[in-house]
Amino acid sequence: MNNKFDFSQFSHQSKKGILVIYANLLFKFLKATWILVFLFFKDFSRFPDYVILYIYLGLGLLLIFFFVRAYLIFKNFQFKIDQGYFVLQQGVLKKSITSISFDRIQNINFKQNLIQQLIDVYQVNIETAGSNKTEISIKALSFQEAESLKKQLSSGEKTAISFEDELEEKPFLKISPLELLKVSLTENHLQSLLIFVALLVGFFQQLKEVFKSLGKDDLIDDYLKIDNSAFQESLILVFILFVLLLFVAIISSFVRVFLLHFNLTVFIKNQAFEIHQGLLTKKSIILKKEKIQHITISHNPIKKKLGISFITFKQAVSGKVNKKTDKLIRIVGCRKEQVEKIKELLFDCADLEKSKREHSDSYLKYRMYLRSFFFFLILNIWFYAGFDNGKIFFSNILLVFLVVFFNELTFKKRFYKMDDEFLLVGNGSIETHLTYLPFYKVQNIKLNQTFFQERKQVADLVLQTASGKVKIPCLPLSEALKIYNYTLFKAESSKNPWM
Amino acid sequence: MNDFHNSPIDHFPDISKITFKAIDKAFLKVILIHVFLVFGLLFVGLFFLVKHEIKDEFPEFYPYFFLGLFVVFMLVLALKLVGFKKRKYAVREKDISYKSGVFFKKMTTVPFTRIQHIEVDEGPVSRLFKLASLSVFTAGDSSDDLEINGIKKETALEIKEFISQKIDE
Repeated sequence: MNNKFDFSQFSHQSKKGILVIYANLLFKFLKATWILVFLFFKDFSRFPDYVILYIYLGLGLLLIFFFVRAYLIFKNFQFKIDQGYFVLQQGVLKKSITSISFDRIQNINFKQNLIQQLIDVYQVNIETAGSNKTEISIKALSFQEAESLKKQLSSGEKTAISFEDELEEKPFLKISPLELLKVSLTENHLQSLLIFVALLVGFFQQLKEVFKSLGKDDLIDDYLKIDNSAFQESLILVFILFVLLLFVAIISSFVRVFLLHFNLTVFIKNQAFEIHQGLLTKKSIILKKEKIQHITISHNPIKKKLGISFITFKQAVSGKVNKKTDKLIRIVGCRKEQVEKIKELLFDCADLEKSKREHSDSYLKYRMYLRSFFFFLILNIWFYAGFDNGKIFFSNILLVFLVVFFNELTFKKRFYKMDDEFLLVGNGSIETHLTYLPFYKVQNIKLNQTFFQERKQVADLVLQTASGKVKIPCLPLSEALKIYNYTLFKAESSKNPWM
Repeated sequence: MNDFHNSPIDHFPDISKITFKAIDKAFLKVILIHVFLVFGLLFVGLFFLVKHEIKDEFPEFYPYFFLGLFVVFMLVLALKLVGFKKRKYAVREKDISYKSGVFFKKMTTVPFTRIQHIEVDEGPVSRLFKLASLSVFTAGDSSDDLEINGIKKETALEIKEFISQKIDE
């Protein structure tokens, strides 16, 4: 074993860590005060010279203060390995000592943000079972140190992992930038656009708050009013807006995909997936087989033509941490044989393909059209109340076609299949999602039935796992009960570890 | 491996065949007290609102505001009364179930093997009637687990004990 580094005595992080902590502190400070800084600099030229001198002086003091603080944090951050325990000592004024026994350590992940990449150090995150307070992150270690620490920490694990497999360093999946380009062009651009708009709205809200505090909140409202009336008048503007949005959407999915998935590499080691990805923040995640609750394999028509799909792993997270990002791990650009391999490795569900495709009851379609009807009702009331121009009602025609198209497609793609061990649920409209769920992973199961569903003898089924829900809407009641009973039987009789 | 059996199963325990137990009758009083408290406050609030704002603006209509709230009150009361009979639970050897709802029926089952912890709580009103609520938590979304309101405190503690034993087995 690689024992170059001795962790039995208290040791510091790599000296470069001061820089990482410093940058981190500055970033946090800027994030909290950027609006103030922005407002300040707007009026910069109007200040007399002696004030500017003071400003520089203050700024300099602030920078030195943060540096001293970073140094102290670094100096007081020490860790060691002591008889099966990982011991961490930290805190400048309020000292604390944390010790974690090896068998409570669930995962050790590496991460690198931009600065850590530049100075070539790794952040090591140690995840533990139990409360979320015992999440430990060591900000800066050299690669060798990090690897060696990881090995020494994992060596105490009950399930003695052999490290021989690591010799075989051939990646199971590697996505080149060109392939990533293909992936990003075929993304769901509408979704990317929505995320972008959400970010923009958040930014906008923040800006509005500032203007409000300055007593200038009419400024933005006025601007919006102008925009709104112009929007009503000109169809050309709508068209330009549409093209612009499309452009923004494609760019934002491009940026999103490259930021998250750049240089995506997947290794398979000891029945676990090791995933490396990210551009500005590089992440290494180890996905253990038993922690994966269910997987979703998705593609859309264009991706299907290119023969690629993306896989979303839902894993159980330790403690009550509700960080969505940890639960959900996505890898993109998988080719068919890789998808098959992953399926085979995780869930041995060969029988599943043979079993029969069952569809939801036609009540589901009825419900979708009913909901669409209410949507149109509200939309038209809004048209009537909010617009002077009667031409707006023509948009109904286009919308009716769209809604019918989507409803039919959604209904067609809704299906489920089951064999002895697994449930496969298909859904989606333009995209197709196939969710594989082993019955024994279910945490609790629900059967919901509205008054109308009761008359039609159908019910919704919700299977809850440790990382989310899987829903099957509008099943015939007898079928729903059959699955209900069977799932309970599987969950209660299974001896497999589910987490 | 001699005692290993793997005979095919063609009959699984059926949830729709078991008889669910109703919750304690005294809990109806707790529900009623809650409803009366909430609507009492609403009526007082409306009274002041009418006195200071609405009476001047709509002098002819203000009694209708009370009538409206009264209708809502009756509807809620009726729904709670009918809904009370639908609140049922069942404890089997390996799982616990709860169902409720008049227009929106719901049934939830949690296998004991998946339970992380169990809680027995008493609300201030429930305590007057020696009633408690039993909640079980799994590793899933904790908001979506199972909670049985309005069972005798002894029963709740018994069930808790029973489940704890089963988990330890």
